[in-house]
Amino acid sequence: MVPVDFYFVLACLIFSLGLFGALFRRNLIMVLMSIELMLNAVNLVFVAAGRAIGNVDGQVMVLFVITVAACEAAVGLAMVIALFRKYGTINTDILRLLRG
Amino acid sequence: MPDFSILITHGVFHLFAALITLCSLMVVVSKHPVKSAVFLVVDLFLLAGLYASLDSHFVAAIQVLVYAGAILVLFLFVIMLLNLQPEELKGLKFSAVEAGTLVISLIGFLITIVTAFKGDQTGLGDGSLDPAAIETAGGNTYVVAMKLLTNYIWPFELASILILMAIVAAIVIAKKDQKKPAAQ
Repeated sequence: MVPVDFYFVLACLIFSLGLFGALFRRNLIMVLMSIELMLNAVNLVFVAAGRAIGNVDGQVMVLFVITVAACEAAVGLAMVIALFRKYGTINTDILRLLRG
Repeated sequence: MPDFSILITHGVFHLFAALITLCSLMVVVSKHPVKSAVFLVVDLFLLAGLYASLDSHFVAAIQVLVYAGAILVLFLFVIMLLNLQPEELKGLKFSAVEAGTLVISLIGFLITIVTAFKGDQTGLGDGSLDPAAIETAGGNTYVVAMKLLTNYIWPFELASILILMAIVAAIVIAKKDQKKPAAQ
């Protein structure tokens, strides 16, 4: 089996890229997709670590993470649609009501 | 020939890892959201392949069915529905200080995690379910289902309530306001 460290490094790379996108993209849909990338990195750590230590609880956790990701995507995209209808844009440079 | 099979396993992992990293990078830096969504679909399929190589067949199937099949199609629907204008598709915009700080902190985070798991792995679980034990117990999907519907039955039911709340919330947020405010 491939050492579990390799999976952790790969997950760190995916998480870093997702965090980068979530922080620096200006499109709200791109931010949501970057968050999906981060959740996938966490899923990979769950599955790889569970396999390495002989436990299936990690896979059960992945199922819950996927459930929460589905809910987050549904509510987040509904908010994107509502924002686009109200302001005509989903650029986070323009939507800055809470930025102070 | 055990050496050959190890070589193939490592080669497949490194191929998948390189493709996943590349697709993740393309997801983040693509200018058009449709392109990003398509790369994200490829990314999720490759991750499902990694899960299958880790003997997590049920998670791999759910990854393809739910993530690539449902969530990403929802993303694509919304992208098509909004019909974004080209001037809103600006690419990355960041200062060098921000990016440098992020990269340095993430490298530290990565090294911390990798070194933290180098040592002994006691205390992380009983380790009673190695692949051979899972096979004798009836296969991976059976074992996961038994865990999910016995030990994790309350989180399972709470997840269904969460999904119900998310459905109602999505409809309430996304629907048009029926009564317009009179004083506008």
